[in-house]
Amino acid sequence: MVALVRPRMDAAAAATRDQTPNGGNPGIRVRDLTLRFGAQTVFENLSFEISGGEFVALLGSSGVGKSSLLKIIAGLADATAGSVIGTDGLPIPGRIAYMGQQDLLYPWLTVMQNVTLGARLRREPVDRPWAEHLLERVGLSTRQKALPAALSGGMRQRAAIARTLYERQPIVLMDEPFSALDAITRAMVQDLAAELLADRTVLLITHDPLEACRLGHHLMVLSGHPARLGEPFTVPGQPPRAPDDPAVLTSQGHLLRLLVEASR
Amino acid sequence: MTLIQAQDPASTPEDPETVAANEDVLATPSSRRPERWLRFVIPVVMLLLLLGVWQVYVTMANVPQYILPSPLRIAQALGTDWGILGSALLVTLKITLSALILALIGGVVLAVLMAQSRWIELALYPYAVILQVTPVVAIAPLILIYAPSTQVALLFCAWIVAFFPVLSNTTQGLKSTDHNLLNLFEMYRASRWQTLRYLQMPNALPYFLAGLRIAGGLALIAAVVAEFAAGSAGAGSGLAFRLLEAQFRLNIPRLFAALFLLSMTGVVIFLGTSLISHLLLRKWHESSIRREN
Repeated sequence: MVALVRPRMDAAAAATRDQTPNGGNPGIRVRDLTLRFGAQTVFENLSFEISGGEFVALLGSSGVGKSSLLKIIAGLADATAGSVIGTDGLPIPGRIAYMGQQDLLYPWLTVMQNVTLGARLRREPVDRPWAEHLLERVGLSTRQKALPAALSGGMRQRAAIARTLYERQPIVLMDEPFSALDAITRAMVQDLAAELLADRTVLLITHDPLEACRLGHHLMVLSGHPARLGEPFTVPGQPPRAPDDPAVLTSQGHLLRLLVEASR
Repeated sequence: MTLIQAQDPASTPEDPETVAANEDVLATPSSRRPERWLRFVIPVVMLLLLLGVWQVYVTMANVPQYILPSPLRIAQALGTDWGILGSALLVTLKITLSALILALIGGVVLAVLMAQSRWIELALYPYAVILQVTPVVAIAPLILIYAPSTQVALLFCAWIVAFFPVLSNTTQGLKSTDHNLLNLFEMYRASRWQTLRYLQMPNALPYFLAGLRIAGGLALIAAVVAEFAAGSAGAGSGLAFRLLEAQFRLNIPRLFAALFLLSMTGVVIFLGTSLISHLLLRKWHESSIRREN
């Protein structure tokens, strides 16, 4: 893990990340993953690989097993069979940052304390310049001492992004992180996330086809009982793609049709 | 107010959220002032009205004071008998507060133990329930036999009654931590102690404080009930004994005075625990934050 943490830089230099696009960040390799609860098979022999530095969006209807898959990759839950490992051959837990459906900010901590929570739990000195830089990037530099209850939904989700990024982890797992936001805030926060996560390996779970088409280098669809992965799918152009990009609109419509057909 | 940035010089007035917040700050006090004023005046007027009716009725109907003393007569008894009642109040206060403090310590320690291990919970929880559901009046005679002194017996009785709400509420609070937050702590590789200290304990605080408010009232009730059951006498006796004694002697004004002191003690305990709860939660918990709509 130590080898993957970038050397400490001042905040300005940290902004222009010094790594090549794939930056040596490991990818995620999933092999023959099976999950059963009693007689019910959620998914069986799931295999895919996300290469380092790639942003992959995983779509699927509710209850298809997306969140379970993410928990297994994060090491929070055990699969019935199969393996999850980094493309560099090392295990994944300990190298991930996570963003959930809710912002998961701790209501009794200020924005700054929330962002630097990981450091405090690891008993490291807090990297204040880095945290301040991130808060500035997400537009919250004047709200460092605010408690989450005093922030709007969009601000809270932006604080959550800053906390995710503070960890400097090579792999970022996101479970419908923007689903609770209104359409305008969501579009803005998506752009911000795409920009700030540019060279990380990201697995984003969503059931919003537009979000997937705007943000993902590649898209995957999980559907059926037991769930199977459809053919990976690429939208032309580099993310974040404009919401009115014809390719995005076409892919979005195609995906929505796939998803509806799959849930019938 | 929860909107801290209103005073923050760094926040720009162009920020729509800041502007909205400023308007909110300006609008709130003026629109609430008459209501706040009435909230104080109405109860006071009602109280004076009731006392007046009582006083007038007793004087006009010539009710003997051993049946119903007038408010003025009770106030007089409170003054003349202060030597007896004051020291009894101190005794009752001491028992109530020490029982409450011990209940808080015992309840929290047991709750933390139970939240750490399902085995400990299975082993201990039934006994906590048995202690709680058995009426304290029925246990008191036994406790009186085994306790080294009446004071210790009273303390123990009050503790038994007061500790259960603390235990049960704190356990509930520790266990009801959001699973997503727990997952996040696990991903941060937080230790068990860190999860307890930085996540479960703050999360349990509102539950604990609700338990504290119940326990505060119960500790006083139990201290009184236990004294009734124990029938202690002499210099070290509390308000409950003085109340019974006044009844035997048909000194009804003193009985009312003792009763008044007891209910005032209860009210003060309630206000105190509510204040503590408000001060600890006002910034972040839903129960204390004013709704924005």
